Amino acid sequence: MKTQILTVTLSFILCLTARAELKWEQTSVELHPARGDKQAIGHFKYQNVGKAPIHFKSVHASCGCTAAQSQKDQVAAGEKGEITATFNIGDRTGTQIKTVTVETDEAPNQKTVLTLRAIIPTELEISPTFVFWKQGDKPAPKTITVRAGKDFDVKHIKVTSSSPDFQTKVEETGQGQFKVDVQPNETGRPIASTLTIQSENSPKTFYATARITTAPTVPVAPGAPTIQKAPPAPAAPTAPARPSAPTSQTH
Amino acid sequence: MKFLLARQALILAALSLLPGVGQAIYFRDKISWRSPIPPSEMVSVDQARQWADSAIWIDARPDNEFAGDHVPGAISLNEDRWNELLPQFLAAWSPGKKVVVYCSAQSCDLAREVAERLRKEAQLPDVFVLEGGWEAWLKKNR
Repeated sequence: MKTQILTVTLSFILCLTARAELKWEQTSVELHPARGDKQAIGHFKYQNVGKAPIHFKSVHASCGCTAAQSQKDQVAAGEKGEITATFNIGDRTGTQIKTVTVETDEAPNQKTVLTLRAIIPTELEISPTFVFWKQGDKPAPKTITVRAGKDFDVKHIKVTSSSPDFQTKVEETGQGQFKVDVQPNETGRPIASTLTIQSENSPKTFYATARITTAPTVPVAPGAPTIQKAPPAPAAPTAPARPSAPTSQTH
Repeated sequence: MKFLLARQALILAALSLLPGVGQAIYFRDKISWRSPIPPSEMVSVDQARQWADSAIWIDARPDNEFAGDHVPGAISLNEDRWNELLPQFLAAWSPGKKVVVYCSAQSCDLAREVAERLRKEAQLPDVFVLEGGWEAWLKKNR
């Protein structure tokens, strides 16, 4: 009986130790980039605890926004190293989860997935970031809610419209929350405005868009021609417009 | 004898569960899985092409990949330059239009993330992710 238990236990231990030669210090990294950071970099350290060298066959990031780099192609027995994953923050907000898949010649089809989790601070939450009226609609005001993110103390915001055709009114509703009423002067013609939203003590600018849209298009019935046509050329500027004659409201 | 076998089987089963339980406890906040995109938020290439002019195509890939090639008429909208590119897309959008977002493959999360932001932040209806992404479109069109 004792022999049987010993055999089973030894088999179990052997299975565990023979499972992988490349030992990762951690396969998941959580990063907290500071406000204004352009990149978040994760380091995944490893050691070859086996007796034979290991070759990296591929190191592949889950998206183009993340670049993954290995220090070396071959890791000798006992050698240490790391995979560096550089995540470009861009205009992303909130929690971002990106993965890097590492393939080695340890065992066929064996892949290790490294996870990089970046918590990007959100200064202002704007909802919705787009308000629109159909051409001919009543030019009634529409509300955009602006809320200070966790750990941010915002007492005042300034909203500027790039077009004098839209009026904005800011009202503080308490607990770092603001109500922004946007109202077009008229809805007789298609016009658009970029609303620039800024909080005090922050260099970062946030944007929302207000627009009078043209009449809705007639839906196409199934079975219609399948040739893909280009949508109408964008009428907006390539970057959020800086108002030449802005109308702004501060609270 | 039967009792011994059953006991050993139980011990083995318990031992085999240990690594899984340990990992679940240690990584309880760090598991990076995501639920699959609901079928109602996906669209096939054939279906999207049937929408013809009533659809706007969004390329969620990075700028260099969009510059290399893209679906004819597609508008670039990625999170690297979201604030700059979003107004261009909104200028082309109008009520009733469907939005088809694609990236380089189904495993790529870019299209999903762009679609989510359009639904949540801009509160646009009818935003779909293209099944199979750019590669699926290429396969059907070239």
